[in-house]
Amino acid sequence: MKKISRRHFLYCSAGLLCYTVPAYAFRPFSEKISAATGPVDIRGLVFKKDAPKKLWKWSHEGFLYTKLGNKTVMCGICPNRCMLSPGDRSVCRSKVNMNGTLYSLTYGNPCSVNVDPIEKKPLFHFKPQSKAFSIATTGCNFRCLNCQNWEISQSKPHEVRHYELFPADVIKTAQRAECESIAYTYSEAVTFFEYMIDTARIARDNGISNLWISNGYINRKPLLELCRVLDGANVNIKSFSDDIYRKLNGGRLQPVLNTFKTLHEQGIHFEMTNLVVPGYVDNADMVKQMCQWILENLGPDYPLHFLRFFPKYKLDRLPATPISILIRFRKLAMDEGIRYVYVGNVSFPEGNNTYCHNCKKLLIERFGYSIPTYNLDENRCKYCQTIIPGRWA
Amino acid sequence: MKRKNERAIIRVVIATGISSVVTQLLIIREFLAQFQSNEFVIALILFNWLIIGGAGTLLAHWVTKRFWHATINRLGWLSLILASLPAVQILAIRQLRDLFFIHGSSVGFYSTFAYTFFTIAPYCLLLGFVLPYSLFVIRIENPDYSGTLIYIIDNLGDVSGGALFSFVLVFLVTPLKATFFANLPLLLATYLLFPSSSRHRPLVFLGTGLTFAILVFSIIMEPSSLKPSEGKLVYYSESRYGRIEVHQNQEQFTLFVGGLPLFGSQNISMAEETIHYPLSQISKVQNILLISAQGGMMAELEKYRPDSIDYVELDPKVADIQFRFGLIKRIPGLKVIHQDGRSYLAGSHKIYDAIIINLGEPDTFQINRFFTDRFFSMARRHLAGNGVLSFAMKGFDNYLAEPQRQKLSSLYNTVTDYFDHVLLLPGQKTFFLCSSQPLSTDIPALLVKKGIHTRYIKGYYYGNLTQERIARLNRLIDPETPKNRDDSPQLMRLMFIQWFAKFASSPTGFIAVFTVLFLIYLVRITAEEFVLFSTGFTVMGSEILVIFAFQIFFGYIYTQIGLIVTVFLAGLLPGAWFGERLHRRSKQTLALADGLMIAMMGLLILAMQHGSLLPVAFFLVFGFVVSLICGFQFPVALYLRGGDAPAVTRTFSADLIGAACGTLVTSVVLIPYCGIIWAAAGLIGFKFCSLIVVVTRHEKN
Repeated sequence: MKKISRRHFLYCSAGLLCYTVPAYAFRPFSEKISAATGPVDIRGLVFKKDAPKKLWKWSHEGFLYTKLGNKTVMCGICPNRCMLSPGDRSVCRSKVNMNGTLYSLTYGNPCSVNVDPIEKKPLFHFKPQSKAFSIATTGCNFRCLNCQNWEISQSKPHEVRHYELFPADVIKTAQRAECESIAYTYSEAVTFFEYMIDTARIARDNGISNLWISNGYINRKPLLELCRVLDGANVNIKSFSDDIYRKLNGGRLQPVLNTFKTLHEQGIHFEMTNLVVPGYVDNADMVKQMCQWILENLGPDYPLHFLRFFPKYKLDRLPATPISILIRFRKLAMDEGIRYVYVGNVSFPEGNNTYCHNCKKLLIERFGYSIPTYNLDENRCKYCQTIIPGRWA
Repeated sequence: MKRKNERAIIRVVIATGISSVVTQLLIIREFLAQFQSNEFVIALILFNWLIIGGAGTLLAHWVTKRFWHATINRLGWLSLILASLPAVQILAIRQLRDLFFIHGSSVGFYSTFAYTFFTIAPYCLLLGFVLPYSLFVIRIENPDYSGTLIYIIDNLGDVSGGALFSFVLVFLVTPLKATFFANLPLLLATYLLFPSSSRHRPLVFLGTGLTFAILVFSIIMEPSSLKPSEGKLVYYSESRYGRIEVHQNQEQFTLFVGGLPLFGSQNISMAEETIHYPLSQISKVQNILLISAQGGMMAELEKYRPDSIDYVELDPKVADIQFRFGLIKRIPGLKVIHQDGRSYLAGSHKIYDAIIINLGEPDTFQINRFFTDRFFSMARRHLAGNGVLSFAMKGFDNYLAEPQRQKLSSLYNTVTDYFDHVLLLPGQKTFFLCSSQPLSTDIPALLVKKGIHTRYIKGYYYGNLTQERIARLNRLIDPETPKNRDDSPQLMRLMFIQWFAKFASSPTGFIAVFTVLFLIYLVRITAEEFVLFSTGFTVMGSEILVIFAFQIFFGYIYTQIGLIVTVFLAGLLPGAWFGERLHRRSKQTLALADGLMIAMMGLLILAMQHGSLLPVAFFLVFGFVVSLICGFQFPVALYLRGGDAPAVTRTFSADLIGAACGTLVTSVVLIPYCGIIWAAAGLIGFKFCSLIVVVTRHEKN
């Protein structure tokens, strides 16, 4: 047998030690954090030279925009503040610069029109069991990967079938359908601001309530204008992390928080929804921070809904949210001091019912969209006469 | 000595063949678990695989001539890298996905294309390079060594690898263990390839050991590479049909099949909708057929106290897991049948009160079969007079987009030929209820009458499924949309359109670039290369056609489809052997083979029209003969081309590139857009061009 040399022995020993190297190479598998993976920002971009050749019947000059010279305009409705050269289309796909003038292409052409129970919005403290005439046009200033209405929110106005309902017609149709309110909903109402505000003004004159169901991504000035005719709102707080806003929604957190403050300051009744996306938003510490912010800035009275996530649109490789997480978050938020916390997209009686924050008695029992038990005297608890926040009549 | 080296190289080529086919199958399964499991993605992966392989083959001659002369040592090192790459590649595919894409999100066509292309490029390029390189090494000592022999030997490895994976490894081991077993022969053959004098050199020892270590470590790392970010992985298995995982997050169990969350233990609302919408319509529910099932369904079914429930689930593991984790429960009268639903119905005489299909979207040939004219006709025959057939497509919340409208319309138009009453309900999914009796939209009222308690339907139905919404959906159906037929899968085409719409993209750019490159390539190749290109194209195209047709006629039977894939490889070997031994290898021989291929495709068209009358053996014999012709043409074309190094690389690559194009064009264009008969006719047309090229080509001497 051939003898092994010292050098040979050392080489082989070193080689054997090197065999552990691959283990180090595979180390990244040891831990995974969803929020830390993939692209960091999915914000939308302006569509260059994408405007139609000419305006159509449902065009309307933009409500709030600035002319910047060289026929460039800047839309002032939402924090995207799209700078559009002639022929450009906004991030939300609804606005175009036509020869130096900003136009909305979604004025009077909703693509989705339905009569919904108000609880579906969800609005639990606003005229329970009433019907909301719900309209939406195309467009959204976000790019949420889990959008349930992506077929319209991520489309351009000419790409969909639509109705013709100018503001006055909306009111008439809502009245015919015996709806007490009009909800600007489904896609993103901020993107059809001109249509929404004109409709809302006529609705108010006709005694119909206006409901704004939104991501809250709007500038203060148009929001103040809207608040003059608004009766209720449900604003989505997608998460309490700017990173997640950028990654999953293509937006930013701070403008949404500003919206809550403005609504509060203007005395508008609003409710908040938080979709608990597994791996991203199911973080108890983050929920705690969110609740603390709400308490400090808005107080304990605005209802908060934790919604169950289901795989949708592009975010379809995640499981649904476990019900126990929603229940835990509800308890956490109530322990922090928020008085009315609900769970949504799931049938969990305790989390769907309203209990008096003072005497803890059952005020409204909800079974789906029906209300078998109602223990409010106008806006007061039937048992202890505490005023319950909301618009009840 | 000379013979010894030759034998060692042959061993490496065979081992490479085994390893490469196992790796290819594993990579396809891996991508299907990471991306969309549709025919488009499968075709895309195969296309990339073969194209890059073809490019590697083309590179071999150029690189060897200019920079890197062929030596046995270099072949050894390349083979060692080749043996270690599959494991690294599989782990990289898993790990890099979340680096480039947002965790939990699905990915569109172009991103899938780019990701699959770049992640498999190193391996495929090397794989394509190694085969001709092995020949060049043999030719150092034996300049007359035939290129065809290498082709035959490689095919021998391929067939063995295919059989090893399809009939052994897939049943026994996980992907990285399969990689380990499939690469051990290559590792050993490579070690023995090094001359005995250098085998004990530290570097060789180190290289071999390192490769072995990578293979072993990858097995150790496998569980953590599958670990979900949300909750924990409580079950993992690779069935012959794909990856099955159960994730536990808090108290919730979710069954993932092929990377997608299929059913959860807490989705009662979906179970209620799936069961009660059809069963509420039936006066007395006795016999029910479920084609696949999901969490909570049995508990809802039990409320009707049926006599018998036949639950057909193709993958036994999926059914077992659902029972084991309590996703579905065993109830009286339940019988679990592990068979393809369509072939079960074809062979059964039982009459049912309800047939509930609970399958995914029809974006694969396999699933599409459950939404075609013939299937609906068969279902109708198995239903009692007032029986209900129910199935569902993906739902929409507030707007029915055009591709989805087309899809629902195609289904509606197809099913109305067999049922007098078809009702669409816009629930969480869009439900189709089909019956010969009138159907009611007031489901909660029907349930109250039957005394059946529900939570979701009772609470939410009237708010979510208003009469207005139901009427609008049924009004939106377009009667002009073509029907979905077995031989012309309209739904698959619409699914592709929907997939592109979801990602706001269009295949136009890809088609344009592909066509330009295709034309440039066709202009630059010789007549013999074109023959091989078109043969590769036709063989892969006909293989896809045969698998598609086989599933229509006989159902999805794993072992038999595995056999079809194997015979499509097995014929290459005797074909090439016969071609090599033929004394008169001329363009007439090539033309004759082309003519035979055309005749075989014509026979396939005839067979498609009477498929159900044919025995399974027909498809096996067809596959064998077609691949035999393909194998036969290779040595003849190579002989006519000259057989030198550039000829070898170009003919090898022509075959591979042709196969790549055939896979893509047949799967995603010909079958969905033209139907199977015209797809076969298209292949005949292409082969006919090759025949004209051969006949009109002038001999050089």
